[in-house]
Amino acid sequence: MQVILEQLINGLTIGSFYALIALGYTMVYGVLKLINFAHGDFFTFGSYLGYTVLVFGAAFLTAHFGLWGVLSVALLAAAISIAIVGVIVERLAYRPVYKAGRLPAVVSALGASIFIQNAIMVIWGPRFQAYPSELIPNAHLEIYGINISLLQVIILVMSFLLMGVLYFIVQKTTFGAAVRATAHDRKTAALMGININKVIFFVFTLGPALGAITGVMVGMYYRQISFTMGWNYGLKAFTASVLGGIGNIPGAMVGGLILGVLEMLGAAYISAAWKDVFVFIILILVLIFRPTGLLGEKTAEKV
Amino acid sequence: MKKDVLAICALFLVIMAGTAIAAKDTVVIGLQGPITGAWAYEGQMAKQSCEIAADLINKKGGILGGKKVVLKVVDDAGEPKSGALAAQKLVTQKDVVAVISTYGSSVCEPASNIYEKFKKVNIGYGVTAVRLTQRNFKYFFRTCGRDDSQGKFFAEYVPKKFNAKRIAIMHDNTAFGKGLAEDTKAALAAMVKAGKVSIVYYDAITPGEKDFKVPLTTLRETKPDVWYFTGYYAEAALLVTQARDIGITCPFVGGNAAINDEFVKIAGLKVATGCYMTNEPLPGDLPYPMAKEFLAAYKAKFGNIPSSPWPIYAADALNVIAYAVDKSGTTDSTKLAAFLRDQVNGVPGITGPIGFTKDGDREGVPFYLYKVDDSGKIVVTK
Repeated sequence: MQVILEQLINGLTIGSFYALIALGYTMVYGVLKLINFAHGDFFTFGSYLGYTVLVFGAAFLTAHFGLWGVLSVALLAAAISIAIVGVIVERLAYRPVYKAGRLPAVVSALGASIFIQNAIMVIWGPRFQAYPSELIPNAHLEIYGINISLLQVIILVMSFLLMGVLYFIVQKTTFGAAVRATAHDRKTAALMGININKVIFFVFTLGPALGAITGVMVGMYYRQISFTMGWNYGLKAFTASVLGGIGNIPGAMVGGLILGVLEMLGAAYISAAWKDVFVFIILILVLIFRPTGLLGEKTAEKV
Repeated sequence: MKKDVLAICALFLVIMAGTAIAAKDTVVIGLQGPITGAWAYEGQMAKQSCEIAADLINKKGGILGGKKVVLKVVDDAGEPKSGALAAQKLVTQKDVVAVISTYGSSVCEPASNIYEKFKKVNIGYGVTAVRLTQRNFKYFFRTCGRDDSQGKFFAEYVPKKFNAKRIAIMHDNTAFGKGLAEDTKAALAAMVKAGKVSIVYYDAITPGEKDFKVPLTTLRETKPDVWYFTGYYAEAALLVTQARDIGITCPFVGGNAAINDEFVKIAGLKVATGCYMTNEPLPGDLPYPMAKEFLAAYKAKFGNIPSSPWPIYAADALNVIAYAVDKSGTTDSTKLAAFLRDQVNGVPGITGPIGFTKDGDREGVPFYLYKVDDSGKIVVTK
């Protein structure tokens, strides 16, 4: 029983990483109908920025802010910087091609992804970098007999907090209604007086910022970062957002968590080598019976 | 417009002629390796080793009557598809005499297919999957050993040393990792049948991922006495860190791609100390005079010696190619391949006397058990 609970916590941890990154994909797709392939690389960039702050600013920051202060500074620095990068990428790579249709936008996204990935490789080098260990005290908690590390608890709490905040903003505030309206039908929303540019700005700052925070958390949790890690996480997160219903923000959260738990089930009870096969079979089955994803709306087809 | 085109054509011809003239004084040897990507650490050490080897040859007067050995490096990023592209790039260059290629059996397979098709001698330096030399290829050789020898070494040595009855074998589904795991399983088969040991865990993790807590928890529940991981160092570092975190206390033994300085750096000293590895002799443990000369030159230029055997095998590949070109007097691929196969026997190399079997395998590669000690150094252990 304890093993199952422990595996569940593992699955939820991976799942919350996927969920946070999936939010970036789903928000951009919802508002712009564009798959932002560069999002995985925002995540990687955030991770590297956090690494730089922690490694080079450690002495200075610890003296002034203490241990938790250092982490907060790293997270904030990464989030704000990548939010800025997100807006820049949107202005440079996507805005000029909105009118040209979906294919040029996709190509532009791929190009942005390759550019950022190689920029990271050139700046930080092709080798792996390692986050400093002992950032969070190496404490372990015993809850109902299962062993969880303090780091895992912090990550789970932070992830759910961020998801909760975003859910609240999108579902319960007026601006959130504007975001949802733009996701539903951009042209009509503009006719209704919603400032589309503001919505796009929101989506391209918050999405990459969440990705960056996830990047720092992944760095703290696994300690090893490489310039290609955005590809793997990006792919899984995109799958998660499709599973939950792309364009749907609660869908991305649900999709991410379910993906993480499914991966866990596949690895633990079928075979670690076959877990991806298992996950993608489930994805295909879900899409066959619910093509718009688990929480996606059934859009009527206009004949 | 027409004048510009003529001018560009003339310039082009001059440059071509220039390089053609310059090329007459050099023998170009290609090097394909993972200069970037997951194995960048190994790839860069291999590049540096070949540079030192070429320098040493050129200092002694070069080959084929004073021609200098020049290295042409192509990056394959540690990916099979990039490996194929890199091979294409090297076979289309007429001045490349032979190629040293590559690190990673899964990358070498498609690349060596291309080299064989275009009849280019290619010598692998970090490719130990057995099936690479079972394809009846005429142009493929390797200066490193094979997984079946390593599997046998593990079976003969490790269960006895750790008094292990329950063995967990974990691999990463790559050509090398799975090959080594299968060879180890086969080598243990007799002991399993006699009831002396049992393989309690045999599964693969996905390389490129970071989270292995789930398969590791499954491994922990099988209560192994020793755990053998036959994959690469990137995953090995993460695996051991996470394993110790969830309470796996049994000794960790890596295959010959699992532990090097990068592993120690990523896993951290606390986790890395006490990890073991089945490995060919490390550069510092090579007793040959050529080894001492090479390592001194490498240390002088780069600060310390390579931390894994593969860059040295790359340097030896370069040495043996240079030797073959010099002694056979030709840069023709077919003649070189025949020379390497039949007439290279006991040629002095950094890793000992170099000789190839009729399948292209390196003859006589020993194995040791290494351990990471308290200061992070990898030392031979009994």
